[in-house]
Amino acid sequence: MTSRTPHSSRTDSVLVVTPIVQVADLRKRYGEIEAVRGISFFVEPGEVFGLLGPNGAGKTTTVEILEGLRKADAGSATVAGVNVVADPSGVKRRIGVQLQASAFPDNLTARETVRFFAACYDLDVDELALLRLVELDERAGQPQAKLSGGQRQRLSIATALVNQPQLLFLDEPTTGLDPQARHNLWDLIRGIQARGTTVILTTHYLDEPEILCDRVAIMDEGNIVALDPPRKLIDDLLARGFTKPVLQQKANLEDVFLALTGHELREG
Amino acid sequence: MRQTRRLFALLVRAYIRDRTALFFSLVVPLMLMVIFGYLNLGDFGRVGLAIDDQATNQSSAQLAQILKGIETLRVRELPTDEALSMLRRTELDMLIVIPPGFAIAPARPGQTVPQIVIYGDDARPQQVAVGRQIVAQVIDRLSFAVTQTAPVIGVKEETIQGVRLRYVDFLVPGILGLNMMQLAIFSVAFALVADKQKGVLRRIMATPVRVPNLLAAHVLTRLVIATAQIAVLLLVALVLFNVTIVGGVAPLFAVALLGTILFLTIGFALAGWATTENQVPAIAQLITLPQFFFSGVFFSKNAAPELIRPITNWLPLTLLNDALREISVQGATLWDVRVQILGLLVWTLAGFILAVRLFRFEKF
Repeated sequence: MTSRTPHSSRTDSVLVVTPIVQVADLRKRYGEIEAVRGISFFVEPGEVFGLLGPNGAGKTTTVEILEGLRKADAGSATVAGVNVVADPSGVKRRIGVQLQASAFPDNLTARETVRFFAACYDLDVDELALLRLVELDERAGQPQAKLSGGQRQRLSIATALVNQPQLLFLDEPTTGLDPQARHNLWDLIRGIQARGTTVILTTHYLDEPEILCDRVAIMDEGNIVALDPPRKLIDDLLARGFTKPVLQQKANLEDVFLALTGHELREG
Repeated sequence: MRQTRRLFALLVRAYIRDRTALFFSLVVPLMLMVIFGYLNLGDFGRVGLAIDDQATNQSSAQLAQILKGIETLRVRELPTDEALSMLRRTELDMLIVIPPGFAIAPARPGQTVPQIVIYGDDARPQQVAVGRQIVAQVIDRLSFAVTQTAPVIGVKEETIQGVRLRYVDFLVPGILGLNMMQLAIFSVAFALVADKQKGVLRRIMATPVRVPNLLAAHVLTRLVIATAQIAVLLLVALVLFNVTIVGGVAPLFAVALLGTILFLTIGFALAGWATTENQVPAIAQLITLPQFFFSGVFFSKNAAPELIRPITNWLPLTLLNDALREISVQGATLWDVRVQILGLLVWTLAGFILAVRLFRFEKF
């Protein structure tokens, strides 16, 4: 196991393990708009890697290129040892994908939805075991359309795990969920990491990567403007003399909310 | 194969659970058949009359001229053979055969009265009755003009025996063809555009699924539903209307399923082109509505204005309905309807090319 120093993200550092994702000078343009302007980074196996940035920063384009859903204009990207440009289908076999809006074929139960995606990979899976992993085994026979927002996101993660991927892409997995469901999903993501799966997470919420991510890349206007562990990014900012205008509270409103309503899921 | 089978099993299950789609694909066609079957749309319209003038003299020309001047009649001159086969297809209601030597003149003693033979279509008794009345009146008028007394021409009436074609016999193959078109175009276009809009296709494309397998599963699903639909429609037609299928059920299924495949290619092309669900009904109606009226579903394809008939006669649904009707009503074999089958295959190829060009999974 490699020691993950705060500086391991720098390109000049010595790598002991082969990165699971290696991106070099990746570019993508849509007509006039240059969505991705030559970014380079790598992701180490086993880490939770966050990709942050405002809307239009180029995160989704970057992720979709890595997922084999979009073609890059220039540069190279290797995912799980496979060249994404040359073999998008080979990449798809090795990764799991949860898209921003989880959409499944109509009129299937939760269990059948998992089976559908297993069929897409041409694999036989223990559907109930996967549903148990995301705490949906009791909902196996329920139509997926009847599941709550949090349940649907967990089902989405179950469908992304059918091929036992080395790398899991999660695109804004907690958007639209209540605090209980978000905390529950965080636990699930930690559990997936503990099983040895690498996770690439894009999100708008900044508390999420602070808690979950080993390293985050912050994108703006098609460039990566910062890439480090969250703690280091914060320390660096403070070292530059940054102070918050108001004093840090010992608790915030979310803590109040959770203290009053509990951590248990409020679903179905 | 295995992948196709597994996806197909799930898609069929999902399709059957979709009560709205099932309603439209089964109840609506049944309603159409029952309503139009009892409505007997064949009662409407003018009387189609053919004249076979074997006399070709002044008298026969005079008779034909008078008949052509009567508004209720749609008169055409046709040889008996051709007219009889059109009668069997209910493209005509009546045929009058004017025998050689026909004359409007007083009968001399001992001479036989010239006999006009009238053939009537059993399936449209109202039209035939009206037509007979008119012809009888015309003949009476001509006779009286000559003799001032008794008729000089006798009328001998015959009906076509053998194929007893009623309107519902004509209707059922048309309903069958219509529903293959509706099912194939609407079910594919709506389902896939909805999947496209909700991001389902995009999610599926994030898996290494083989696209031809996925498409095959979708096509197979529709063919199974279409087969069930044909079976139910035919069963109701047999039980409720006692429809006879002269040519047998197997060739009827074969042609109907070929038609389904043709319209599926159009459905996929439409699904590929459309980006929102709102576009689907508009374009689907644009494709299906002209065929609904001009392809011989509820009434003869000859109801289309003469000007556009060279086009409407080659529309996909016209070819399909013609083939289905020939089989079901006339007892035609697949070989007998080879022209229509060839036409359907050409359309299928065209639809397939269009679908491949418009339907790009990679786009989603």
